[in-house]
Amino acid sequence: MINTIDISHYGTVAESIRIEAARILGEGLVTAVVAYTAGRRAGSVQPAIITSAAEAERLTFTAASVNNLAVYLTKAKKDIPRSGRIGIVVKGCDLKALVGLMGESQLQREQLYLIGIPCAGVLASTVRPAEPLTAGNLAPKCRECDAQLPEGCDYVPEIDLPLPTPLESTYAAEIARLEGLTPAERWAYWKEQFAKCIKCYACRQVCPFCFCEQCLCDRNKPQMVDTTPRPAGNTAWHIVRAMHLAGRCAGCAECERVCPMDIPLNLLNRKMAKELKELFDYEAGFAVNEKGPLTMFMEKDDQSFIK
Amino acid sequence: MSRIGVFICHCGENISRTVDVERVAAHAAALPGVAYATEYKYMCSDPGQTLLKKAIREQRLTHVVVAACSPRMHERTFRKAVEAAGLNPYLCEMANIREHCSWVHEDREQATVKACDIVGMMVERTKKNRVLPTITVPVTKRSLVIGGGIAGIQAALDIADSGHEVVLVEREPSIGGHMAQLSETFPTLDCSQCIMTPKMVDVANHPKITLYTYSEIELVEGYIGNFQVTVRKRARSVDERTCTGCGVCMTKCPQKKIPNKFDQYIGMRTAIYVPFPQAVPNTPVIDRENCTRFKTGKCGVCQKVCGPGAVDFEQQDTLIVEAVGAIVVATGFDLYSISEKPKGSPIKGYGEFGHGKIPDVIDGMTFERLASASGPTGGKIVRPSDGREPKQIVFIQCIGSRAREKGISYCSKVCCMYTAKHTMLYHHKVHDGQAYVFFMDARTPGKSYDEFWRRSIEEEEAVYIRGMVSRLYQKGDKIVVMGSDIAVGVQVEIEADMVVLATAVQPQQGADLLAQKLGISYDKYNFYSEAHAKLRPVECATAGIFLAGACQGPKDIPETVSQASAAAAKVMTLFSKERLEREPIVARVREVGCVGCFACKKVCAYGAVEEKEIRDRQGNLLRVVASVNPGVCAGCGTCQATCPSKCVELDGYTDEQIVAMIEAL
Amino acid sequence: MHPEKTISSDFEPKVIAFVCTWCTYAGADLAGTSRMQYPSNVRVLKFPCTGRIDPVFILKAFQQGADGVLVSGCHPGDCHYIAGNFHARRRFAAFRKLLEFVGVDLQRLQFSWVSAAEGGKWVEVVTELTEKVRAMGPMMEFKELALEEQWSGAMISPELQDAYRQI
Repeated sequence: MINTIDISHYGTVAESIRIEAARILGEGLVTAVVAYTAGRRAGSVQPAIITSAAEAERLTFTAASVNNLAVYLTKAKKDIPRSGRIGIVVKGCDLKALVGLMGESQLQREQLYLIGIPCAGVLASTVRPAEPLTAGNLAPKCRECDAQLPEGCDYVPEIDLPLPTPLESTYAAEIARLEGLTPAERWAYWKEQFAKCIKCYACRQVCPFCFCEQCLCDRNKPQMVDTTPRPAGNTAWHIVRAMHLAGRCAGCAECERVCPMDIPLNLLNRKMAKELKELFDYEAGFAVNEKGPLTMFMEKDDQSFIK
Repeated sequence: MSRIGVFICHCGENISRTVDVERVAAHAAALPGVAYATEYKYMCSDPGQTLLKKAIREQRLTHVVVAACSPRMHERTFRKAVEAAGLNPYLCEMANIREHCSWVHEDREQATVKACDIVGMMVERTKKNRVLPTITVPVTKRSLVIGGGIAGIQAALDIADSGHEVVLVEREPSIGGHMAQLSETFPTLDCSQCIMTPKMVDVANHPKITLYTYSEIELVEGYIGNFQVTVRKRARSVDERTCTGCGVCMTKCPQKKIPNKFDQYIGMRTAIYVPFPQAVPNTPVIDRENCTRFKTGKCGVCQKVCGPGAVDFEQQDTLIVEAVGAIVVATGFDLYSISEKPKGSPIKGYGEFGHGKIPDVIDGMTFERLASASGPTGGKIVRPSDGREPKQIVFIQCIGSRAREKGISYCSKVCCMYTAKHTMLYHHKVHDGQAYVFFMDARTPGKSYDEFWRRSIEEEEAVYIRGMVSRLYQKGDKIVVMGSDIAVGVQVEIEADMVVLATAVQPQQGADLLAQKLGISYDKYNFYSEAHAKLRPVECATAGIFLAGACQGPKDIPETVSQASAAAAKVMTLFSKERLEREPIVARVREVGCVGCFACKKVCAYGAVEEKEIRDRQGNLLRVVASVNPGVCAGCGTCQATCPSKCVELDGYTDEQIVAMIEAL
Repeated sequence: MHPEKTISSDFEPKVIAFVCTWCTYAGADLAGTSRMQYPSNVRVLKFPCTGRIDPVFILKAFQQGADGVLVSGCHPGDCHYIAGNFHARRRFAAFRKLLEFVGVDLQRLQFSWVSAAEGGKWVEVVTELTEKVRAMGPMMEFKELALEEQWSGAMISPELQDAYRQI
């Protein structure tokens, strides 16, 4: 039997977002609000940036509000925050990304007006957006979520429903399975996965942390990573990507969601998160850290692997 | 298109014995971009360098690879030669085919293949080398000397006499070091204090010397020409400016039975004390651990009797920041503790010789204090246990030294000579006594040294027994010393009244910690490493830091003084320039691509990365990027490895250069 | 799926060492001046500091056909640049876990501290890694990958299968 997850409060949440967005835009507190509007398919949503109180009534929040909107404040959209204070709708996982970006000097807290969502979870990307949310079709990242109630926001709609308790992590199970294999078996697994890559870089485009102006993997002097979609270059790209996100990834799993070839990219990110937790007791959270786990050190750090 | 010249050195036969240099030259000549390749017997020699310069001009070379010894040996030599021929010195690289190849591989085929590979790698790297402009930095013409023993005193006086300011930092309450503890000195037997104390006074009175005693180095920042050193001046509890040095406090202090470190703990001192009467400065220190006032809050006699009111129980440690351009490290030595194994030391103890357990087994420095006219016994050689004059005395050499199984394989260098001196001092003071010396062999290289040693045997009647002691134990009030005389092949047993152990010379406790603060290298015994064992014995590999005395390795006084003066000369050479040229191996930020995440700034240990605002013509802030201060950057490149988009690059070690090497494999 | 390893008796492994100039490079120099002997398979790349060593270089080395990679620098506390080796230690602690997870046998990747005084340790570390890798045979993973032109894998998701059927 598959448990249905109670998301009846999403209606109230959506209404609260509309009211709050209209208020902050109306009062001139912010110049724009990054949020979700209804998509064309039933129940679906799409990201939207609104700049007037009148547009606020288009906003919504459903179990399909999976996108991490933080990406709209970096990269090519970097100018948006500069135009004035920006309102943004954030789930807990999205907030962790914003906090990471603040730690890396990409955003300042005072530039943002955070509308936090008490989140019971969103749908997996393979599911029709109108389906009721269940433990079975919940996005994998939501199963182990410890950030259902974002902290430190400017506004969080009040609800009196208890949020669901976390489920067993499918990532953890898969990581454990892979860890149990021999190196050769793991290599075979990932070779299979990486070979599918078509180098569309959707994973890079959607990631809030891939904010470099020029990606290392696009450089040609020297060429660190082959840019054509061939197995050797693909493998290198995914290894470099996972390493560059280690200690920064906030776990929104957008890379995995947008991958057209269904490469389990978040598995790499979760594995690195697990290792950084074990090695350096680091976890992405709601507090801005001055330094990340790989830009700092402790004298007593583990060195058992060094001769 | 590059026109690279490759020059392969035979190094006499050091390389050519195992590497087929002609084959390497042929291999190099065939590499794309190589315009000229040749081999020569001694590339570093004058004709070798001439050949190099000539080839650069005649062959219109754009880059140079010299395949020879380690770049640590001759990189500078060849870069200078290349510069003299009109090329930027940083277009020259060395391929290490000696230390990393011909000397470590016997198989000629394998060594030759490896040499070809190394040359190939360096050719590819060199193609990516860029012209690097020389960076100059200003020089702060003040010097820091760490350690106030004879080495530090000599270096400080020499530098100060040349007209440059010196900051001298000493850990103990007085300068003087170990030399101040000695009774007489070999090979002339002049009184140590008579030659030492005038120099100490010179330091105190020198207008160019700032003296911090009872102080330690807290932090060292900066680089050659521009160091910022934080000195922790420990609370003395006595104000140095008001104290007149009358010493009334010391006579009145009720705590009188504290073993004095200066007297090797056989003499006693008070809780407020100067370590010895000729101390410089002659300002007492309160030993807070043993002072009744600090232990119980009562007492305070010293404060009451102090006329000028110099005693200050509230005094705190102070931190002083000094800007200096050069540092002389002269932290000296300590004697190997034979009673207990020092914490964390890889060296095994010598408990079997009874030191620390049998009171009349002492070390050489304790004997010095007994023999010293200003020592706790007024120069009378007596047993610490009962104050009796020892009639039979045994000296044992090489305790700790030259004993690989105990962890020290080096020779402590001074013990043969000071033991010979001890037998003489003993004979002068105890006319009817007999001295025996157990020794492995006597090492007496030095002017008038062997004559001195012979005199101890021939005139002063010391009996030298070649062999080591196997057992030593207390029997009644005697110490039985058993050993073998390997020269005659008999067992020897001596009932001695006193035993003196010539314990090994070791670096000061905490020498490694200081080295870490200074960023200088040290060997496995914690002796500081010189830049080159033969040709740069005074410099550290870290520019601007020089070594003097026993902190670098065991040394006697004349050697220490020579090295101290040499270090001072090096400092003066440095100060003779207004600006210094430094290696342009520094990081640069490609501002166009920098996204301002400041990961580089977070990992920079030098604070060399700054935030730079980029504004448009109207003054509107466009973005904030990283910027490296080349004067502060030390060139480690940690920033580049951390930068996600590689927008900070370390000149001389760019990604292009490194990837070219990897791809050449 | 996994390539058969061909271990021939005359296999000479390619070992690449990334070392810092102040400690390990100097330690290797000392091994030379002391005329110690070790296998000639290692090729040394000099860096100012282990802090400069980018994990991508290790990846690149394997891609270029290295059978073993050694990364070596100053002991903790001895860094000529104060803390470069501490940063490197963290970076490599994480990176090796990633490589392990994608199936690189960590037997082929060795980290060590070798000081300027440890010529003997340099010989020991290089010899041990070379012999270990020699026994393991050539590292085929990246070499084979480099030869493959395109994806030849299975279609593991229903959508892919669906899409393929429609073509």
